Amino acid sequence: MRKPRVRRATVAAATVVGLVAVVSAGCGSDDSGSGSASDGGGVTTLTFAASTFGDPGRGPQLEEWLEQFNASQDEIRVEAASVPYPTFGQTVLTQMGGGEGPDLVRFDMPEFEAASDAGLIAPLDDLIDAGEYELLEQPDRFMVHDDVRHGIIFEASNYAMFYNADLIPEPPTTYEDFFAIAQSLTSGDTFGLAFRQTEAEEAGVWQDIFNYVYGFGGAWSDGEDLTINAPENLEGLQAYKDLYDANVIPRGADAATFRRMFAEGKVAMELNNGGYATHLLAESPDLNFSVAPIPFPERSQGAILAPIVINEASEAKEEAATFITWALEPENQTSLQEILGASSVATATERTPESLQELPFLPTFDELTESSLPQVVLGFEAQTPDIRKIVVQNVIAALQGQVDLQTALDDAQEQATELVG
Amino acid sequence: MTKDTHSMTVLEQTRAPRSETSPRRRRSPLGSRWTPYLFLAPAAVFILLFQGVPLAQEIYLSFTRTSLLNPTRSTWVGLENYAHIFGDDDFHRTLLTTLIYVVVCVVGSVGAGLLVALLLNRGFRGRGVVRALVTVPWAAPGIAVALIATWMLNPQYGIVNRFLDAVGLGVPGGAILDSQTYALPAILVTTIWQLFPLTSVVLLSALQAVPKDLTEAATMDGAGRWWTFRAVTWQVIKPTVGLLALLMTIWSIRRFELIWLMTKGGPVGSTETLVIDLYAQAFDSKQLGTAAAIGMVGVVISLIVIAGSRFVARGAAKEGIR
Repeated sequence: MRKPRVRRATVAAATVVGLVAVVSAGCGSDDSGSGSASDGGGVTTLTFAASTFGDPGRGPQLEEWLEQFNASQDEIRVEAASVPYPTFGQTVLTQMGGGEGPDLVRFDMPEFEAASDAGLIAPLDDLIDAGEYELLEQPDRFMVHDDVRHGIIFEASNYAMFYNADLIPEPPTTYEDFFAIAQSLTSGDTFGLAFRQTEAEEAGVWQDIFNYVYGFGGAWSDGEDLTINAPENLEGLQAYKDLYDANVIPRGADAATFRRMFAEGKVAMELNNGGYATHLLAESPDLNFSVAPIPFPERSQGAILAPIVINEASEAKEEAATFITWALEPENQTSLQEILGASSVATATERTPESLQELPFLPTFDELTESSLPQVVLGFEAQTPDIRKIVVQNVIAALQGQVDLQTALDDAQEQATELVG
Repeated sequence: MTKDTHSMTVLEQTRAPRSETSPRRRRSPLGSRWTPYLFLAPAAVFILLFQGVPLAQEIYLSFTRTSLLNPTRSTWVGLENYAHIFGDDDFHRTLLTTLIYVVVCVVGSVGAGLLVALLLNRGFRGRGVVRALVTVPWAAPGIAVALIATWMLNPQYGIVNRFLDAVGLGVPGGAILDSQTYALPAILVTTIWQLFPLTSVVLLSALQAVPKDLTEAATMDGAGRWWTFRAVTWQVIKPTVGLLALLMTIWSIRRFELIWLMTKGGPVGSTETLVIDLYAQAFDSKQLGTAAAIGMVGVVISLIVIAGSRFVARGAAKEGIR
């Protein structure tokens, strides 16, 4: 029997059509627009992105905490997505800008403000009854923009002075003492103090200099206009520069290096947030360290505020809200508080005797909550990353002696004002 | 006999006589004048899809104000992004830094590669081992090279500071990568260290193609080493050097990971090149339009370099004919 002849062109055309169909099907298969997925059996899986899931001290415990939620549910499952801190904002904001990304996100403030300003965060008022909970007033007020709630505090970490109790029996209470102790303990490869001062750690330098600005009564804005070159800011940053010039810090050392030096007893003091305490305890259980308020003229310091938000692109907003509601339950807040250690959570919780025994300085952190401010430029929250770049560059130029500090701040004021219009 | 008549004769001799009685054979589709295009089509489609479309998109983006956070809501601003970057002193500094980086990298990597290739081309014991060792920096990924360099330059435990201190050339505080004076040279040295193995291996193979009888003849004619190199060796390896210089130029314009990991463009923008600026605009400032305009400047510079190199090569070829 004669086989029918198939023309080569027909075969080629069919192959091309087939390939196009396969590619199109592949491209179109994932149009969910977010990280949520349903397994067909009625379970909706949500993705929760946070840089802290990668923290060796707290990450595994946070994942266990998520498992407690999953165990309490039949229809919702939350999975952790760990994104490294240095690229967190860039990764998640790029995804969200493209209408994708995780359903739940633990943001830091600058990225939270940028996402909120761009309409990438779902308003929570219709999803969560915040009035039902005793939310900590000071940090929570930064979660509401124009009477619309965009986030719930997941973690609030106040900045304080960490010191090596073996090297410093009595912590300093004034800037002059602080300076003198830093000088007296600096010798050879041991340093009295450490802070970030390199452009490679721009975000970290910004966090560090906030304490000097707030601690000397300054602010980056009055809420309506930028005040970068205000006399109080100059005084605070001069204090920061004086320490740099006095060579009491390991110059050029990044945070990872000087934190290891602190753990090894080669750095006597550093200003850091509560989240660091748990990390330090986990990494160096034998280190004899303690914590005191930052000894600057004003009792005001920066705080790491980390809200949990729902992605506007999520197709499972109600399920995501169910998770946040679960997280706000008193017993779940308490267990989250235990994991986060010296940080605060959204609501006021009692410290357990076990926690207080392990970290006796916890009340120090808690008392700072009312005087802590987020590390954003108030009134210009969404533009904070751009202002941060300008300020940090100019401050570093002054540290390196390229210009005097007053000129650097004047330049920063001019450049930032031009930027924000 | 002219060239044409010669060709005809050869063709007539090699072509089999067509039988008058045999049926006319069907012309194979592979023999049609479209065949070359058929073979080129997949590559052309690939390039169009994965190079042409993004490039066209970038050109369009560069004329818009587009935020990374709301890429779908962009507005047409014409040449505003270009006016903004060219009116910015920082961008002028970025262009200058890029120029310095490219020129030093090209001269350094090709020069060091040539020097090493000339040494490795000589006979000595253990030459094979040395040749293998020389390629190690090229085999290491860029990220690993950047991390190794950062560790070596670390002010607290880096070996470079220990050495510089020992010979009395230490940088105050030891923070080389945080110094506006030393950060760029440190990055340049690291880049050249990473690149020279490739140039040396390529140039070594070119050196081995230099006819020995020519160099021997030059030597017998009384030419010294330098004149032998200039008159014989250089003439043979010149096209390879040109190609390497072109490749190194394009790669240096595009180099990102090494600079980003070592300094992120700092301190105070002293190591900021075009691609670093592009990245910062796109992902820090979230201004995709400005970033695209910076990218287009890079594309134009690369095209100028390629066109310039072709012009130089054509000139050299003409010179050779004469």
